[in-house]
Amino acid sequence: MNESIKPDDIDPVIHERVRLAIVSALAVAPEMSFYELKSTLGLSDGNLSAHATSLQQAGYIEIAKTFKGRRPHTTMRLTPTGQKAFANYLETLRKIIQKGGQTMD
Amino acid sequence: MNQDEAQVRMQEIQRIMERATLWTILPGTSAIIGGLMVLGGCLVSYLMFCSIENPSFSPIDFAGLLELSLYGQIAFCVMWFLIGVGGVVAEIHFARLQAKRQGISPKGRSARLAFFSLTPSVVVAMVLTVKFLAPAELRTQEIQYIAPVWMMLYGTGVYTAGLFSVRAPRTLGMAFIAAGVASINFFQQYGVITAALSFGLFHIVFGLYVIRKRRAGPST
Repeated sequence: MNESIKPDDIDPVIHERVRLAIVSALAVAPEMSFYELKSTLGLSDGNLSAHATSLQQAGYIEIAKTFKGRRPHTTMRLTPTGQKAFANYLETLRKIIQKGGQTMD
Repeated sequence: MNQDEAQVRMQEIQRIMERATLWTILPGTSAIIGGLMVLGGCLVSYLMFCSIENPSFSPIDFAGLLELSLYGQIAFCVMWFLIGVGGVVAEIHFARLQAKRQGISPKGRSARLAFFSLTPSVVVAMVLTVKFLAPAELRTQEIQYIAPVWMMLYGTGVYTAGLFSVRAPRTLGMAFIAAGVASINFFQQYGVITAALSFGLFHIVFGLYVIRKRRAGPST
């Protein structure tokens, strides 16, 4: 039986490619610094910063700004809300793949 | 979103997760076990060298191998070979456990990347070790080069493996390279100590760091 996936099932915050990459990386690494995420995902400073802020505003990631010596050190980690949203997104993808469902874009 | 797009998304997610987990599947436990085995090996080496009657050989100098009996030399080489094999076996075992716990493939891209990055350096180190040990008459300096050569080449492999991941493995690799450079230039006669500090202590510190980071994270 085909189950159609409603557009509302797909979280627009996570669905964006860069934000999905950030959340995917943070889902498996307990904590990553700004530099580590930037180099792992191949993003520019501005791009990562803008999307990380969007995720923070949605409550999906925590951003901690500290200092290492005199240099600013920014780390990010996924919040429980972010973990749940990511799990839901994966579940939606699985449904689409397994049941051949299609969102009505 | 249709089925194909969802499939592509899934593959992208998997790729990113594997890349980001290179260091998290590096099991802290096996690093600590490996470090402890090396410390044990250094202690046994020291005790073996202490039994040498020639006063010109220090018990913290691997060149003491020259003064051991043939049986002692064979036992020494077998012990270090077994420590190396034991370290690799522990690494593979705990990496597989960790990967299973995190629901990722132990043969995934990250694991393959780590394997292919480390293998050339380790093979070169093995070839050089055999070359240093092979001459009919062993020479002091060549024996003293073995530990620093392993430090530098192992460090190169670890650094390369960490290139596509987070900073921790790269820092470990750099520490090994620095230790090897210092050791081959200034501390050749202190091989037992430098091996204990690098392969022993560095691994233990790295293992504790990985465990602490993992425990601190929300995903564990």
